[in-house]
Amino acid sequence: MSGDSETPGIRRAWGWVAHLRAGGTTPWRDWVGEGVAYGRHLPGAQQLELLRRLNEAGDVPAELATRVIEASAPGRGRPDLELVGSVDLPAFGPPPVDPADLSADELLRVATGLLAEDVHAAGLPELAPVRPRPWRTRYRLLGDPMLAASRRAELVSRGRPPGGRNELVLVLGTDVAQMMVDAWTARSIGIGVSPWPEWVRKARRLDTLPERVDLARQARSAAERVGVRRVRVVLDVDALPRLVGVRRPLAAGPEISADAAELARRTGQVLALLATPVERAALLREVLVPRLAEHPGPALALPRRHLEWARGQARTMRDELVRAGYPVHGDPDGLLPVVRHGVSQPSDAGVLALALRLLLEKKK
Amino acid sequence: MADVVYLHVGAPKTGTTYIQDRLALNRTQLARHDVRYPLGARGDMFHAALDLIERPWGGMLPDAKGEWDALVKRTRRAHGSVVISHEILAGATGEQVERAVASLAPAEIHVVLTVRDIARQVPAEWQERLKHQGRMRYGKFVRRIQKPRSEIGRSFWQVQGVTQVLERWSRQLPPERVHVVTVPQPGAPHGELWRRFCRAIDVDPDWAPLDSVRRNPSIGAPESAMLRQLNDRLRRTRLEHADYRTLVRHLIVHETLATEPVQQRITLPPNHYEWADEIFESWREWIVGSGVAVVGDVEDLRPVRPAPDAIWHDPDRTRPRQVADAALDALVAMIEEAARRDDPDEHLSVRVTKAAKRLRER
Amino acid sequence: MSTRVLLHVGTPKTGTSYLQDVLFRNQRTLSAAGIHYPADRFDAHFLAALDLMRMPWGGLENQAVGQWDKLAKQVRRNDGTSIISHEILATASRAQVGRALTSLGHDDGTEIHVVISVRDLVRQIPAEWQENVKHRASLSYRAFLDQIQDPRREARISTWFWGVQELPEILDRWGDDLPPERIHLVTVPPVGGPPELLWKRFSTAFGLDGIDLTLEAERTNPSLGVPETALVRRINRAANQELEPRDYRPLVRELLAHQTLSRRAGSPRLALPPDLHPWVSDVTASWVEEIERRGYDVVGDLGDLAGAPPVTDYVDPDHPDEAQVADAAVDALKAVLLEGARLQRREGELQAELDQVYKALERSYLRPTYRWRERTVRRLQHSELGLRALAAYRRARGRSSPPA
Repeated sequence: MSGDSETPGIRRAWGWVAHLRAGGTTPWRDWVGEGVAYGRHLPGAQQLELLRRLNEAGDVPAELATRVIEASAPGRGRPDLELVGSVDLPAFGPPPVDPADLSADELLRVATGLLAEDVHAAGLPELAPVRPRPWRTRYRLLGDPMLAASRRAELVSRGRPPGGRNELVLVLGTDVAQMMVDAWTARSIGIGVSPWPEWVRKARRLDTLPERVDLARQARSAAERVGVRRVRVVLDVDALPRLVGVRRPLAAGPEISADAAELARRTGQVLALLATPVERAALLREVLVPRLAEHPGPALALPRRHLEWARGQARTMRDELVRAGYPVHGDPDGLLPVVRHGVSQPSDAGVLALALRLLLEKKK
Repeated sequence: MADVVYLHVGAPKTGTTYIQDRLALNRTQLARHDVRYPLGARGDMFHAALDLIERPWGGMLPDAKGEWDALVKRTRRAHGSVVISHEILAGATGEQVERAVASLAPAEIHVVLTVRDIARQVPAEWQERLKHQGRMRYGKFVRRIQKPRSEIGRSFWQVQGVTQVLERWSRQLPPERVHVVTVPQPGAPHGELWRRFCRAIDVDPDWAPLDSVRRNPSIGAPESAMLRQLNDRLRRTRLEHADYRTLVRHLIVHETLATEPVQQRITLPPNHYEWADEIFESWREWIVGSGVAVVGDVEDLRPVRPAPDAIWHDPDRTRPRQVADAALDALVAMIEEAARRDDPDEHLSVRVTKAAKRLRER
Repeated sequence: MSTRVLLHVGTPKTGTSYLQDVLFRNQRTLSAAGIHYPADRFDAHFLAALDLMRMPWGGLENQAVGQWDKLAKQVRRNDGTSIISHEILATASRAQVGRALTSLGHDDGTEIHVVISVRDLVRQIPAEWQENVKHRASLSYRAFLDQIQDPRREARISTWFWGVQELPEILDRWGDDLPPERIHLVTVPPVGGPPELLWKRFSTAFGLDGIDLTLEAERTNPSLGVPETALVRRINRAANQELEPRDYRPLVRELLAHQTLSRRAGSPRLALPPDLHPWVSDVTASWVEEIERRGYDVVGDLGDLAGAPPVTDYVDPDHPDEAQVADAAVDALKAVLLEGARLQRREGELQAELDQVYKALERSYLRPTYRWRERTVRRLQHSELGLRALAAYRRARGRSSPPA
């Protein structure tokens, strides 16, 4: 019942709120001024600290400041918290906190809620329907989802949708370590997934590659449907245009950093409550990912301690693909993992910094 | 027709699984030396043996009809020597033995019996019964088999009574064609039993270089106690034999409980060693007196008493926490198995959808 | 425009499912009496609550999109009284409460009441730990008790526990904008009283007296004894990481916890450890004092919140009788075995049926004459699987292009 009594602590808190709304960046523990209440309740510590961080990161429009202050952190976690020193220790509810002590994770809950609203409000770009060409090559793209998705989208936009009679099944792949990263990233910007370390641990524990990474399994089930002769394994993506009957090269998809993928994953969790699963995936892919791609950062890489395991899996997969006799475009040894530069997992601080930048971007 | 037929008739729980698997693995190599192991399409000789001894065996008997004759036919087509092996043959009656011997004439017939000391056979037999839905406590089982006229006693000695089995199987044979192979005591070099068996069937062990990894694995006291309780509770349910075999015997016992080294091995209760010694003496007397060919040492069959400070693990009185742990292991394995199976309804309608889509796309 | 809205916001384990069940089944009767419970499925208000609080719930949230606004719209459209009920609403933040009240017409003169049913902490604390265990938690009872006693309340468990239990604080959030006489507390009577007493209190609080409702036998939320809870916790520890939620729910929670283990008789009950009674009494006394001071309407008796005295035969679920656990485990094993065998058989049956369907579909496609197809269709309509196959077939035919 913080609004009831005008104590010096409460006046100090309202003063800080006004300071933050005006773009101030002074941390709560250094704040000394006083102000007047303009609402019944003080905003929560999480919201205020997020606003302070936003002010540190750039110019916060008044409308955004209001949204931050009125936001609720979605999902499960700590409730709105009071500022330590603004009120006496309350008889009920959680104890007040110094906002500087809040974890990046708590601030991210509020931030991803707002970001999800932005993405949802932006809506899907209108795509002019493209008439399929009648004499196109019939194909289907499987395998590494990050390699396949953008190329499939480009082919659709050129009037070459996948599927059809006597289709050629093209299983795209690269080294297994990268495919692990790609499979997780694709789910982060798609139907959702557990955090990266947990996801990798699970694959290790089950000692099998996730379905999207297991090219042998995908090829096998495709072969059951169309026959071995109509399945190709494509490890050299430059071979793809010829196989689908186009001359111009097909562009690679946008690359996003480890932190960006994690931010997309967390934003997607909130978006699940704002949009249907199909809309959600489309919004992440077409609205959020292009924005994330504009903020380069270290890529995600499979931690080194998993490379030996990945190599074993890759060998098994290579041998099975070769044994089954699918034509392979590119070197089958290209499946063996190579050491790539990158970080072994996203960082909460990096994800929060990225979220702040995205919230501050001018609407286009 | 084969010139010589070796009939390996048991006894159960004497390493027969290992011997049969090793014979099967090296079938091609052995054939080069004119030694045949004529497995049929079933992959083992269980059905043929069952057809001969005519036991109901969980409803499998009708399935075995004609299998003995088929085995005889395969034997007739072979040259050189032929090995026939299944441990349930130990239980054949005098008439069934006559039928078997007559069906294989005029080949020279040898009978081979692998024998292990009675102190190790008792717990092994009890455990085998547990794996076939048995519910009897160990103590009771041990007491019952000492009464040869009880039902349990009869069925036990039918296959484990070395003298009875040998008497039935050797009636029409000269003693030098009856081979008793003793199972070495623990600590013998690896492959010793196999080498002895080879000697009995006149095979050079080098002709069968591929080693088998198959064992009939055993479980300890707490796991056995848990299995007994489970069988007890399954009694009034309609779990079919086939489901019991795949889910309990294979998944729970062999693939889950028996994968760890046995911590609390079940042994003969300490106060029964005198009785065991008497059994040993009667076996030794018979074997030596009858003049059958012994491969190994009759002394291998003398029950070995545990070290004076050894703890005896009574499977009727186990630590509840260990039983709980065994049940938990089994439970988790079963849950995971059920989870792997998916909901068949859901799973299949997805496949119908796919099939329908494919039809349309044609 | 509803003239009156009764918002039932908690708390869990206070007979809420039973109440919601009665309201859902009697929508028509209630409507004739001018009371609306707008729900097209039994969990409609749960979905609306997830939507309001933007709370993911194991994939269920996909069905929650837009459900709060839909519910609010229905409430605003109705005349008379409307009831909304779900216990997870207890955790809503002030901003979410504000949004909820506004959407229900609070600012346009609708009379909003908040109802909260409460049960003594002596029962709520063990019940909440058990609920956690049935939702895959593997923490010990002691760890749970330590967490909820930690005044910092930073951990997920304690945040949630107090979020749905701490009465004065929940009502700070939900009732701040409402006069105290529009806030109604329904207390759950102590064990051993007349079984219909709680329903009578609900009936009074929601103004249902005199309406001829069909009451089903009370669906008690099945609870587990000490060895059974200890067993589920061990299962969680051993199998948690391999099991997907979609497997855990039917196999562990439903088949084992609800259908097997909760039916075992004679096990010691889960209870509040006697040494925690003084602390619980202090907490409860401070709540009662605060509630009396605020002057809320109480249906029942605030004395009910004191709970039963300490049990004399307390059994610690962290150190259960192992023989009892082993017993429970073998029962559980039997249940999963029978389920495994059933699945095995069902798979075989369906496979055979499926082969038939395939053949029929193939034939009807190869000879695409009208009469032949009609015959196939009629035959398939007699089998369950056939019906599903046909539906799938029609869907596939109707689709303009297969999804990539």
